[in-house]
Amino acid sequence: MTMKNRNKGQIRVIETILASFIIVVALSFVNIFATTPSSPRYEATDLQKVGYNVLHDLDEQGLLPRFVYKGDWGSLRAALRVTLPSDVYFNMTVYDLYNTKLDDATIFYGDPQMFATSKNIASVTYGLVGSPIKIGAAYQAIYEPRVVILRLTRG
Amino acid sequence: MRKLIGHKKGQFVIIAVLMIGIMIISIGAVMNRAVTYYKQEPWEEYLTLMGSVELSSRRLVELSLANYTNAINPDSNILKANLQKWQINLTRIYPGYGIAINYTLANQLYNVYGTSIRYSLGLNYTWQKPSSFSAANATFNLDINSVGLKGYRFVSVAFLNLRILNVTTDTNEIAVAVKREDVVPVTGLGKDNFEVAGLGILKVSSRYDQQYLVVYKIKCAGALTLPVTVRLWDTRGIQVTAKYP
Repeated sequence: MTMKNRNKGQIRVIETILASFIIVVALSFVNIFATTPSSPRYEATDLQKVGYNVLHDLDEQGLLPRFVYKGDWGSLRAALRVTLPSDVYFNMTVYDLYNTKLDDATIFYGDPQMFATSKNIASVTYGLVGSPIKIGAAYQAIYEPRVVILRLTRG
Repeated sequence: MRKLIGHKKGQFVIIAVLMIGIMIISIGAVMNRAVTYYKQEPWEEYLTLMGSVELSSRRLVELSLANYTNAINPDSNILKANLQKWQINLTRIYPGYGIAINYTLANQLYNVYGTSIRYSLGLNYTWQKPSSFSAANATFNLDINSVGLKGYRFVSVAFLNLRILNVTTDTNEIAVAVKREDVVPVTGLGKDNFEVAGLGILKVSSRYDQQYLVVYKIKCAGALTLPVTVRLWDTRGIQVTAKYP
């Protein structure tokens, strides 16, 4: 009787080991197929979100329209460098509605080769409606849309 | 008999192996779904687009109000004209999304933050009073066909209120309170934002006030005589002119 009970105990231990083994194997199996957030498959989408958020924040603070309509590309570049993570390279171009390029190609950060070779490049399009310009004491506020295209890649 | 039992054990092993296999695949499938599920939701992608369009539309309402209040001959149709252009240009700025925006301009008496405003084509200003204001109001309906979004409604209100609280002729000082949408006090205004009719401004300082939260004190360069007219431009370029008394 005592021997039988001992045998039952051993079987329980074996069962537990087997169950643990199944779980470990299952988790290892999952890891092969899991598409984690850092996967290159989502890289472009993630960068796109980062780009949108950065442009939206700069617009919310009134910095983006101010820099774009004043043509202050140096300040715009500095603002993007401060706001974006340091390993994210960017290339921004500003157009009017007739696709005329307005910036002087200096809103750029990173290795130019990366934009030519990288597989994961995100492109964000952002619209601006205008910005009031102070003339004397009063302001001139004209509807003058601009299209901002921000390209991002990870260095 | 023994052989038969042995055979049964063999069957049990096969069934057990199959069951273990099913378990591994099931757990694997569930885990894989759990890890990757949130990425399949497209809401984050179109939320950013909606946010951009909403912010740009609000900016356009503010810009139109700035134009309306700064013009020598104000064009009461400016907001409508700008929004019509915005409707067309939006599809050029964001091609391929199937974006369509419709608007309705406020055109009657509204109670905005405790102030009665009678809008005409979404615009109104009431100036030359101790408490003066400029206001604009438009309601938008946004569709983004590429993500199946229909009828996302938002209201864009631009509002600037200038209230002359007190004029002290002895010290040539004017106390004013400035509020914007949601009766939020406007901070960070300086000498460049104000103009006192017929007088220069020496200094503009602000202090905390229990009722108005922020009160600006305008120190004038010459002798103040009543009535006093104060003009204000905020950082959005919107103008208001108030007169006291």
